[in-house]
Amino acid sequence: MKLKNLLFLIPAATVLSTNAAANIPISGTVESKCVIMTDTDGLYGNPTADKLSTTAADGGVVPIIRYDIITASAYKAVITTPSSFSSSPNLPDTVDWTSSTTVGQTSDAGMSAFESGKVVYNNSHTTEFDLTIAGSVWFNVSSVAEYGYGKAFPSGNYTALITAECIAQ
Amino acid sequence: MKVFVLVLGLLSGYASAHQFTPTYPELSPSHMTGVYKAEMILFNTRKEIEYYALNVFDKDWAPVRFATENRLVKIDYEERKYVNIYISKKDVKDASYICSKSKILSSVKDTSIVASRICSKIK
Repeated sequence: MKLKNLLFLIPAATVLSTNAAANIPISGTVESKCVIMTDTDGLYGNPTADKLSTTAADGGVVPIIRYDIITASAYKAVITTPSSFSSSPNLPDTVDWTSSTTVGQTSDAGMSAFESGKVVYNNSHTTEFDLTIAGSVWFNVSSVAEYGYGKAFPSGNYTALITAECIAQ
Repeated sequence: MKVFVLVLGLLSGYASAHQFTPTYPELSPSHMTGVYKAEMILFNTRKEIEYYALNVFDKDWAPVRFATENRLVKIDYEERKYVNIYISKKDVKDASYICSKSKILSSVKDTSIVASRICSKIK
């Protein structure tokens, strides 16, 4: 092949390959879904001998659960706080549980309505939120356990379970 | 800066998540006569979770009979699994929800653990 032809073909081939690379498609689909994320793991503080609490003032860390909703009004969030320990040392006396679930950060200002519209039942352990606006919402869950009548919790490891549900409606 | 915050948010958020889609699955006839199936997708980015339990419920949350390859699905971190739920024709009219729930091993010793459950509603 003559040198003159080669000089023409090399730039032409480069242009063709560039064009081919530019045409590689990336496809994706955004579909209705609910994603539950454990944003912050909770931790019980032990401010007094008879109390375990996730609130910051008591030395605990409030667990935070994030929900991502793609389609408005497709799901409701149901969060159930602990009413017993899933693992603990032997506790012969009763444990009194108090808890609350509140709306924390939101990606849309209108999501503050989730808080005013929430439904609480099951002795305040279960809270239901109607997810009427698409976006992300963070729920703060506080849990306090008090042992007996001013009795000290036995030393050991304590674990409690929060259930976060997303129910299509 | 906004983009950075968004990317950071997405990265941190999806570090530990449970997805179960579609929201509204349809039951279609399977390769077996008299058996319908729904095709579901389970996606796990919860590092501490390796198993999800599958269940089918009616509108009053009573269990409905169903079949699947494994009712307890073993799924690795960042793995996506396609799950077929089979329901017999006589139970189709009762089936309302298909749910997946994270199962926590006793070896997980975090002080507060989150069990996540996502339920899709059958069309």
